[in-house]
Amino acid sequence: MSKNIDVLVIGAGPAGVAAGIGARREGAENVLVLERDWDLGGILQQCIHPGFGLRTFKEELTGPEYMHRFIQQAHDEGVEFRTNTMVFQIDRGTNTVWTMNKERGIESLNPGAIVLTMGCRERPLGAIRIPGTRPSGIYTAGTAQRFVNMEGYMPGKRAVILGSGDIGLIMARRMIWEGAEVEGVYEVMSWPGGLRRNIAQCLDDYGIPFHLKTTVTRIHGQDRLEGVTVAEVDDHMTPIKGTERYVECDTLLLAIGLIPENELSRMASIDIHPVTGGPVVNDLLQTTNPGIFAAGNVVIVYDLVDNVSDEGLVAGASAAKYAMGKIPQNVRRIPVKGGENVRLYSPQFVTGETDTTIFMRVTHPIEQPCKVFAEPGLYSQRLRYARPGEMNEVKIKAEQVKALPDLNEIVIDIQPV
Amino acid sequence: MLRGEKFFMNYDIVIIGSGITGASIARELSKYKLSIAVIDKASELPAGASRANSSMIHGGFDDKPGTVKAKFCVPGNKLWHKLNDELDVHLDECGSYVCAFSGAEVKHLEELLAQGKANGCPGVEIVSGDKLREKEPNVSPEIIAALWSPEAGIINNFEAVNAMIESAELNGAKLFLETVATGLILDDKGNIKGVTTNKGEFLAPVVINAGGVHSGEIASWAGDKSFRIIPTKGEYYLLDRTAGETITSFLFSCPSKAGKGITVLRTAEGNLMAGPTATEQEDPEDRSTTPEGLAEVLKGARRLVPKFPVNMNITTFAGVRANTESGDFEIYALKSPRGFVNAAGIKSPGFTSAPAIAQHIAQLLKEELSDRITLIPNEKFTPERRNIPRFLYMDMAARKSLAENDPAYAQIVCRCETVTEGQVVEAIRRGARTITAVKMMTRAGTGRCQGGFCCPRVAEILSRELGIPLDEITRHGGESKLLVGKTKEFLLKKGAVSHE
Repeated sequence: MSKNIDVLVIGAGPAGVAAGIGARREGAENVLVLERDWDLGGILQQCIHPGFGLRTFKEELTGPEYMHRFIQQAHDEGVEFRTNTMVFQIDRGTNTVWTMNKERGIESLNPGAIVLTMGCRERPLGAIRIPGTRPSGIYTAGTAQRFVNMEGYMPGKRAVILGSGDIGLIMARRMIWEGAEVEGVYEVMSWPGGLRRNIAQCLDDYGIPFHLKTTVTRIHGQDRLEGVTVAEVDDHMTPIKGTERYVECDTLLLAIGLIPENELSRMASIDIHPVTGGPVVNDLLQTTNPGIFAAGNVVIVYDLVDNVSDEGLVAGASAAKYAMGKIPQNVRRIPVKGGENVRLYSPQFVTGETDTTIFMRVTHPIEQPCKVFAEPGLYSQRLRYARPGEMNEVKIKAEQVKALPDLNEIVIDIQPV
Repeated sequence: MLRGEKFFMNYDIVIIGSGITGASIARELSKYKLSIAVIDKASELPAGASRANSSMIHGGFDDKPGTVKAKFCVPGNKLWHKLNDELDVHLDECGSYVCAFSGAEVKHLEELLAQGKANGCPGVEIVSGDKLREKEPNVSPEIIAALWSPEAGIINNFEAVNAMIESAELNGAKLFLETVATGLILDDKGNIKGVTTNKGEFLAPVVINAGGVHSGEIASWAGDKSFRIIPTKGEYYLLDRTAGETITSFLFSCPSKAGKGITVLRTAEGNLMAGPTATEQEDPEDRSTTPEGLAEVLKGARRLVPKFPVNMNITTFAGVRANTESGDFEIYALKSPRGFVNAAGIKSPGFTSAPAIAQHIAQLLKEELSDRITLIPNEKFTPERRNIPRFLYMDMAARKSLAENDPAYAQIVCRCETVTEGQVVEAIRRGARTITAVKMMTRAGTGRCQGGFCCPRVAEILSRELGIPLDEITRHGGESKLLVGKTKEFLLKKGAVSHE
């Protein structure tokens, strides 16, 4: 590279493309977004179902359509992209970024600021340690989605879906659309992992049975999957004896959770939050490595792509400010604490330099009117209910924080009213 | 590697089984002017007990002096410390501790120490629990003493088996995969003439039985019913690399009658691992994990390392080892039929012993079967074999030059283990035909996402390089196809779409 890169974005999914836009709009000269795949868009390339962009564009788009609009904006803003380019190392201390690309070989870059937007990956079967054999026919829902939607191949004819994360629900419907059978969706928790609207539109509309507090306890089959044993679980998630049932299937799709993908973050000595699995960030979406920012599912797994794009814009803008020396040296670092009903949230610190949205999930469903709030007196909003599968938000304005020079802690929580 | 075609060929030697034992014998015998066929029923190597074991290179204190095992373990250990360079295989010379929790167990350590000395196992000593914890701060505070064996190590068993057989092939041996031995052929004098297989007859005056968990059945074809294999399952947890920092040495529980007990180790590639159980079973092919087995491993692992971070588990697996009633190896030539040699009943410390067993087999052929076969040194024997380049472990200059020579080395296929397309293509060039074969040879798919990301990409590369459709690619051969057809064809077959 002959010219200096002001802001380098790693990953051209929804967060990364938005970060590129955010950085240019803030005034960064040279903004480059790297993408390891051959095309832009990240996982949304394979999300060909509608349901994206209701908040941002006030209409229902498919994943590729949603991305197309952002990519168009990014081109208009002068964001540069480089595809087929993988970042495989960030050097501790110098933040030198090492890339590989078939045409360009192996190169290093030293940008003014970095935005991490690598997204997340799916939890594999091993993470939940189900006993049994190891045949073919077991896929994470996203891998199956890639096979069906991108490659045009069917992973199987009769599927069981374990976990009720959104991709699993979407894939249940997709398998039906493509002519396969779906025996049922099994969720170990007593509440669904995904959005209610996906339960309705992907399972209920197609008569796919949905079993809560039930899990797969055994895998059967030598070469190809032949079946699974399912069983109900007690309150400690231990299978209940006598409830076991053998289900014949040739495919097991897993939607058992998403994990932020932070190999590079660890290389760069960024603190990773033990609960979110993503970098610890402040409201500027700055990590504990000051020159590195992060946004989207690499930070915390979101429900809606609209939120991911919004956060990408913030991180890109912050990175641009940093590269231009516009972030004050001694910004405040007010910790955000989660109350008793909060399982996870991000950001974990507030500077008061920008308006911010704190995204959070409750530990368990609260099926009654409740309120989400930030103390001391920063935010309060009534809710009809709060569910772990649907994120809640707290919005705090920069002026509110600036008006409280002694503020040393913000507590967020959701409580029944 | 060859497969698929029918073979009716004459060899000097047929080796049944290409686990570490068969592969080591093949390589050792390739030092002589012999035509060697190695047959294995698997679609990729390693497949049987050589794939799923603790990957330990034992110090040699555990075997009773006078046993066959004791004869081969310490020499095998010494050979591996040279072979790892020759064959370009990862060997972590980490040393091992046997941990004692009670006075009775300390007494047992003393017996092991005496045994180790009798076996010529160098450097073994008993250290205090505190001394152990200086080096391994995460072990249980209740451990009062440990037997240290500095020569023990951990090998990358996937690499080792492939390296061994590749080296044999480079020196002229032929490997036939997906080739199932079904019986022996005897000549009119009742001596060995060859092996029948699903692919045809392999004729040879000498047949070596390295059939692992099936070696008892194969021996019985020759009328040898002197030993019986008791298939013994061992279950394991494999954890993320980031958990590998928990320990640095191989940790044993104090052995009992049931076996060496649960161990906790860091693999040669840095993953934390725990296992195995020792459950006897009828079925030699049942490699399923069980709730009971996994619970037992976890309990044993937590006893050694109380904070064993099982939440970082990435997969569980089981291997079946070829236990014998005597507990010892069965290595000898039969008087009748002449030409049949057992390298059977090989279990722990089989991986360690394999190169020494192989040397012994060569000697045995010279001394006992010279009427059937003549071992003339092969002057062209090349001991060195180079591994597929391992991008992850290279310095930046080496990576750059690799990528300049072949751009495929500048394309990542497996993100978790940083495996490039160049490595996958090279594995296919060296014979990989399945997703698992690529995994064994390159580590693509062994990481924390367990192939979630790279499986479709490896499948595409296999399809492209081999010129076969994507829906013909299998996970591990046989009926283990990844996909069941194209989406629209599938719908048409179901009649869900009308032809208008």
